[in-house]
Amino acid sequence: MSSFGEPIGSSVTAADSPAVAEPTVGPGPDEAKVIRREHLALLLRSKTFIAGALILGFWIVCAIFGNLIAPDDPLRTNPVAALQAPSSAHLFGTDTLGRDVLSRVLVGARDILIVAPLATLLATAMGTLLGLVTGYFRGFVDDSLGRLIDAILAVPVVIVGLLSMVALGPSTVTVIFVIAVVFTPVIARTVRAAVLSEVQYEYVAAARLRNERAPYILFGEILPNVMGPVLVEFTVRLGYAIFTIATLSFLGFGIQPPAPDWGLQIYQHYGLISGGYWWPVLFPALAIASLVIGVNLLSDGISQAFER
Amino acid sequence: MSDQRQRQVDAIRRHIGEVENDLVDELVAGRIDRREFLRRGSVLGLSLSSLGVLAGCAAPNVTRVSPPQTKPPKAGGTIRTGIVAPAAALDPIMISDEGGLAVLGQSAQYLVWSDKNLTLRPVLAESWTHDHTGRVWTFKIRRGVSFSDGTPMTAEDVAATFNRLSDPKVGSNALSNFDGVLSKGNTKAIDPYTAQFTLDAPNGNFPYLVSSDNYNSVVLPKNYDGGWDKTFIGTGPWKLESFTPNQGVSYGRNPRYWGQPTVAERSEVTFYAEEQAQTLGILGNQVDVVAHYSVSGGRALITNPDVRTTQFRSSSHRQIHMRTDKEPFADKRVRQAMALLLDRRALVNGLLATKSDYGNDSPFAPVFQSTNQSVRQRQLNVAMAKQLLEAAGKGAGFSTQLLTLTHFELPDLAQVVQNDVSVAGINLKLSILDPGSYYGSSKFGTSPWLDSTMGITDYGHRGVPNLLLTAPLSSKGPWNAAHFRNPQYDQLVAHYVAALDLGAQRAAAGKIQELLLDETPVMFPYFYYFLTGARLNVSGVETTAMGHVDLSRAGFA
Repeated sequence: MSSFGEPIGSSVTAADSPAVAEPTVGPGPDEAKVIRREHLALLLRSKTFIAGALILGFWIVCAIFGNLIAPDDPLRTNPVAALQAPSSAHLFGTDTLGRDVLSRVLVGARDILIVAPLATLLATAMGTLLGLVTGYFRGFVDDSLGRLIDAILAVPVVIVGLLSMVALGPSTVTVIFVIAVVFTPVIARTVRAAVLSEVQYEYVAAARLRNERAPYILFGEILPNVMGPVLVEFTVRLGYAIFTIATLSFLGFGIQPPAPDWGLQIYQHYGLISGGYWWPVLFPALAIASLVIGVNLLSDGISQAFER
Repeated sequence: MSDQRQRQVDAIRRHIGEVENDLVDELVAGRIDRREFLRRGSVLGLSLSSLGVLAGCAAPNVTRVSPPQTKPPKAGGTIRTGIVAPAAALDPIMISDEGGLAVLGQSAQYLVWSDKNLTLRPVLAESWTHDHTGRVWTFKIRRGVSFSDGTPMTAEDVAATFNRLSDPKVGSNALSNFDGVLSKGNTKAIDPYTAQFTLDAPNGNFPYLVSSDNYNSVVLPKNYDGGWDKTFIGTGPWKLESFTPNQGVSYGRNPRYWGQPTVAERSEVTFYAEEQAQTLGILGNQVDVVAHYSVSGGRALITNPDVRTTQFRSSSHRQIHMRTDKEPFADKRVRQAMALLLDRRALVNGLLATKSDYGNDSPFAPVFQSTNQSVRQRQLNVAMAKQLLEAAGKGAGFSTQLLTLTHFELPDLAQVVQNDVSVAGINLKLSILDPGSYYGSSKFGTSPWLDSTMGITDYGHRGVPNLLLTAPLSSKGPWNAAHFRNPQYDQLVAHYVAALDLGAQRAAAGKIQELLLDETPVMFPYFYYFLTGARLNVSGVETTAMGHVDLSRAGFA
């Protein structure tokens, strides 16, 4: 077992390392390009992927051009026009402050489509780094970080999120940070598993024999070959991130008013359903559901393509 | 008026003091109506029978509105009530929240009850009088009253209760009312049924401070030393059966109660952590009564045919403070501009669904009898606001933070204010905190509430504006989030507090209202109504805008 901080292969021969006891043949650079082309072709033929891309694309268009598409200013309050039912004047009705629900749903895509991908990207970057390190170095590094990951995973995501939000104060930056921290261990585990498989290939052994430094082997050799699982994990976590953001907002700990965040809209109005005011809740809820479904379809498509 | 009635009136007027006779003159001259006469007369200690006779002096053309007819409740049954969960331990001396005081009032009682019309009714005190200065108040204590453990209640228990509440070392929540008014040791038992209060300064509204308005002032045994949540000791109509923290309390009739036995045989009070859950509780027939709900959280109840809502005016309100000692609000023209940008009509008609009175940027709510109604109402005026900002060198607008808390409609109000002032280029960045974070230590320097440049804070009902004039606005006020220091204001408030007759109070009130309109350290956008919901088969529930709920006469039709 190697000691902490001593990368296997940096100063010992490949034969000394338990992780590279029997190197196997991995894909070469040209072969990898061919595989990537095949993946792309499979994706473009996947109905699941295309359906997901269309839904996600719609919401991305809303996120970018929402203010141009929206029939009204999503932030302009008009309390005397509060809680008007859906009509030709307001297709989705108005909320408790007289704001147009359709406009808030359309523009609300922006918040979630900025926060969720940023949080997932950050989580993917940190999780990938952690997975590469634990999977490559093994030993004490793997054991200690692995236990830490287990500990974080043992606590429910929403509890970790709520505690962090209370400690750091609710803001968009905090939401991104919290979701990134919560998802990092999950991604790290997946990447670690992929790395454990990769380090057995001879291209890693060859790099060690060339006395390449560990960072190069990790990021120059192994990382490109585990990008498939990383990409799948990113899309899967993106769906969960959207849901987590909506949950935190629903609990009052997410994005702050007056942002037209979907979860926040549901949180602010769910108590009105029993009074017959269903529209300020239903439409944001449908928006969340459609976006999560879209991302999951996309994720399934990518996953199927990479599995082949 | 018949000769016999005239003789009765004359007889009463010969025996009452100068201040009381002035009040009768006001009534006869038509300057106050019967309701105001009854309110003020009750404060001055006029007996109910005298008030009844004297009220006959009023002009006869007063419109009488019959109360809604409901069947009288039948005896028996269990009345189930939903209230906001108490925020802290149930200690009568320290309670500072609506849930806590609602529980307190079930088994314990006050000297005086301040009802929904702000009229004082004798409870443990039978009557009260004052000396000519308004500095010494004497209360006759009801005979034949005993605590739920069987101990007789006397004036000594009353004196011990108020000396405890006015002791700074005890740190009672009631100190906010007694600071500068009543000091420890100045409440004495003259005899077993007479208690006398010698005040630090004359105070024309003192009976309110020993009433249910000062909700910590329930009379407790003289040897009380904590542990109220184990016994719920008091002189009230209900006796504790069981108490489960965070869940609720169940009561049975108090067999030692001095008054009429309760109509219902039992009472169950359920605590709700959230107003939404409370709303669903009554809609789902889990409770028969919700003691208090807001428009924002209980909109579903307002139009529900199975729930009868009773509403009455109150002085409950929101204060939007602006730091007078700090940019961008150091210049009063900027503060005035902010107030002129508020669309109060939209707030009252939209956010509060018309269930509120307009605020006029002072604590003088329309419900107070001393409010000077001749002072002009501030209204939306964007053009003037822009002129004022221009003159103050802020024509291009400015940016600052608006802090508030997650409580009832406060986040909604913050968003409307943000939207209203944006037309003048003012960018308010909202920060909405949980109540604990917002109030912090409630001390200057360590409280986001008291240290913020601009903030919105909730203020509960009071029967008289005294506390609202001092704590959040006077130079040494412990809740002065606007950091407003104005010696002229302090002097006017001292005059107002000391005034015994209504005319003097209104004169002082007018000056205070005008000064606050000019300085505008705090915006008062509205004073909202108190709403209570009950299922249609329930009657006899009496609530106050303070949050008390008297269930002793409540039952089922």
